Amino acid sequence: MESSELERFEAVVLPHLDAAYTLARYLTRDADDAQDIVQEASLRAFRYFAGFRGSEPGEGRAWLLAIVRNTVRTWHDRNRHHAKATEFDEKLHSEGIADDHPEASAVRKSESEALREAIDRLPAEFREVIVLRELEGLSYKEISDVAGVPVGTVMSRLSRARRRLEEALCIVTEDC
Amino acid sequence: MTHPVIVAQLDAYLDGELAAPDAGELEAHLRVCPECARLEQRRRTLGAALREHLPRYEAPDTLRARVRAGLRKETTPVRAVRRGPMAWRALSVAASLAVVAVGSWQLALRRAQGEALADQVVASHLRSLMAGHLADVPSSDQHTVKPWFNGKLDFSPPVYDFAGRAFPLLGGRLDYLGGQPVAALVYGRRQHVINVFLWPTGRGRSAGSGDFTRQGYHVLHWTTPEYTYWVASDLGLAELREFTGLLQRGDSAAR
Repeated sequence: MESSELERFEAVVLPHLDAAYTLARYLTRDADDAQDIVQEASLRAFRYFAGFRGSEPGEGRAWLLAIVRNTVRTWHDRNRHHAKATEFDEKLHSEGIADDHPEASAVRKSESEALREAIDRLPAEFREVIVLRELEGLSYKEISDVAGVPVGTVMSRLSRARRRLEEALCIVTEDC
Repeated sequence: MTHPVIVAQLDAYLDGELAAPDAGELEAHLRVCPECARLEQRRRTLGAALREHLPRYEAPDTLRARVRAGLRKETTPVRAVRRGPMAWRALSVAASLAVVAVGSWQLALRRAQGEALADQVVASHLRSLMAGHLADVPSSDQHTVKPWFNGKLDFSPPVYDFAGRAFPLLGGRLDYLGGQPVAALVYGRRQHVINVFLWPTGRGRSAGSGDFTRQGYHVLHWTTPEYTYWVASDLGLAELREFTGLLQRGDSAAR
């Protein structure tokens, strides 16, 4: 019995390991942490798998991504002190480089660097909707399921996140 | 259409999430309003830049190997019998041992699920205690809290007010446990907060009942034919059991 369950899991969930790892990379901003998260989330996913009745490929993806996201949350709670320290650094970082003196850095930032930095500076709840929408192409309904918030909230978070990214982008392209 | 409406709907439009009549109206406005058309252009430029510059990562082979090894460990019952030449009697013993092994493996799996869920319950409880996270609908009125869940969940959780028994209702919120949205009801006792998480029984794999302790928090879990309950609090166990007793009696009276 358990081996057929494993086969179903390998067919429905494991194909989305890249998506899971991508989301974890963006949420943790660290390659090693992302691996630990995905490892833990996959085992959790397997343990709850009997309760999962979806059969569409997209459902398996949204389901695994929801578990990855929750695992990151639990992991942040566990490492709260560490997380606080990071947020503090982030503020210093963003104020020092991007917001106050955009021309201060001697080397001009490329578009791609500017965007990645801007993504890293987004609050986690903005970053996750951007990754789920722009990289994974999830529908609003799917994002709402993954993030556990109403569709209206997904919409407003996406809109606000994009506005911030546009600001970061137009500084480098000088098209504001 | 006014500008604020356009700004609010532009993302949904570009994401293909706007209903056709609204999309038509918005397109008509974009044709005549240069300001909104510029907003649209900026969004499209951003979208193209994100797709061009944001990497999607591939799960490293080491990670794939770790996941597979973990799954193997989850699915391999402890091997009770060494393989090798055996008499038929030994074989029949082996067969009955295998049944026992599978049975206890399922038991262990259920317990592991309970433990994992208890971790999540405490994490959610702790998160709710952070400023501004306790309730999406802060209200001591059960007739305000219960309807608030309409349209947010596909079930309507039973909400009671035990203010008369010194467990006042503080509010409700949406939470996420075991990979699904669940109802969280918040009750108080003096300075203590009690979180009640519930969802329809039969979803997820959390039948049964159990008590857990995590970092000084008590976690109580039980299942009724309708709902699966998880309760977390730093309240003393005796008082917490008084509360869960009220909840269970309220539930059986409602049936």
